[in-house]
Amino acid sequence: MDNKNQATTGKKQSQWTLRNIILIALIAIFTGIIFWGAGFLYTALTVALTPFGMAPFANDLLMGLWCMAGPLTGFIIRTFGSAFLGEFLGASVEVFLGGQWGAGAFISGLVQGIASELGFTLTAYKRYDWFGLNASIFTTVVVTFAWDMIRNGYDKFSLPLLLGLFVTRYISTFIFAGVLTKMIVKLLDRSKAINL
Amino acid sequence: MNPGMKLLLVMLIALEISFTQSLIVNCILIAVSFVYILTQHIRMKALLGIIFWPLFPAVGLFVSQWLYGSAGIHFAWILFTRIYAYVFLGATFTLTSSITDLSLTLEQDFHLPSKFAYGVLAAFNLMPKIVEEVQIIKTSALMRGEALHFWSPKLYFKSILSAIQWSQNLAEAMTSHGFVEDYERTHYKIIRITALDWTLFFVLLIIVQVLLFFIRY
Repeated sequence: MDNKNQATTGKKQSQWTLRNIILIALIAIFTGIIFWGAGFLYTALTVALTPFGMAPFANDLLMGLWCMAGPLTGFIIRTFGSAFLGEFLGASVEVFLGGQWGAGAFISGLVQGIASELGFTLTAYKRYDWFGLNASIFTTVVVTFAWDMIRNGYDKFSLPLLLGLFVTRYISTFIFAGVLTKMIVKLLDRSKAINL
Repeated sequence: MNPGMKLLLVMLIALEISFTQSLIVNCILIAVSFVYILTQHIRMKALLGIIFWPLFPAVGLFVSQWLYGSAGIHFAWILFTRIYAYVFLGATFTLTSSITDLSLTLEQDFHLPSKFAYGVLAAFNLMPKIVEEVQIIKTSALMRGEALHFWSPKLYFKSILSAIQWSQNLAEAMTSHGFVEDYERTHYKIIRITALDWTLFFVLLIIVQVLLFFIRY
C-alpha cells in the first residue's frame, strides 16, 4: 500500500495536516460505530443489573470500550492533542447516531479526551510503548472515575462498592484501551501500512 | 439560534447541572427542552427514542443510588432527572442543527482553523459509508469462516487500513478542489452570530443561574 504516512517522515513538521485530521476523525468514527454495535450489551447489562442496584457496573464494565479511540489515535498520530480529538470525536459520533446520553456524551467525550491525552502528556509524547499506553490507561481510569463521582453520584456509595467499581473500570480499560490497542498497533506495525 | 452558540449553551448548562443538585431545575430544563423540541417538527420515532432509551441508565442509576447510596431517594431522583436533562438538552441541539452549519460557524465565527472544520466535516459526511464498510469487513471475514466481534483486533485493524486509505483520498480530493491548508478562505454560505443570538445566549444562561441559585430542592 502506498499510503505511507507522509507527516511522520518530516519529524519537524506539524503533524496537524489535513490528511491526519481526517484520519483521526475517520478512526474515531470507525471505532464509534463498532461500539455502537455493542450498544445493546450496555442496555442488556443495565437491565440485568438494575434489580440488584448494580447498574453502575454496566457502565464501568464497558468503560474501556468507550475509551479506546483516544489511545488508538494517540498512538497512530503521535502529537499533542490527537488522543483528545480522537476520543472526543468518537463520543460525538454517538451523539449524532442518537445515543442514550445526549449532551452527556459530549461532556463525557471531553472528560475522556482530556483523560487519555493526559497520559501521553505525562510521558512528554516520547514513550509510545507499553509504558506510555499504561500511563494513558491510568489517567483515563482516574479522571473518568473522578468525573463519575460527581456526575453519577458515585461519591454517595460506600467504600467497598466504590472500590469494586474502580477495579472493574480499571480491568475494563486495561483490556480494551490497553491489551486490545496494543494488539491493533502491533498488526499495524507489522503491515507497514503506516510508519509508527 | 446559531448552532455553535446553541451547542456551547447546551454544554454549559449540562456541565452546571452535573455539579449542582436541584431536582426542580432538572425538571424545568427537561420541560422547556421538550416544549422546544415539540415546536421543531421532529419525527415521532426520534422523539420516542429519546424518551425510551435513557430509561435504562436512568432507572439503573436510580435503583443503585436508592439501595446503596448514602444520600437517599431525593438524590436518586436528581440522578434520574439529570440523565433526562442531558438527553433533552442535547436533543435541542442534535435534532435541530446540522453538522454542516456547526462546522461552518465554528470556522467563521469561532476561528477554528479551516482544516479542522472541513477535515472533520468531510469525515463525518462519510458516516453512512463507514457503517457500510464495517459491515463489509465483517461479512468478508465471515466468508473466510472468521467471525469478527468488537473485541477482535482484526476488525479495528482493517477499519484503520480503510481509514488510512480514505483519509488520503479525501485530503487529495479536497486539495484538488482548491482547498489550501492554513489559508484565508472566502465563503459561499456566511453564518454570523447575530445580536439576537448573543441576547438569547446570555438571557437563557442567566435564567438558569437564577433558577439554580434560588431553587435548592
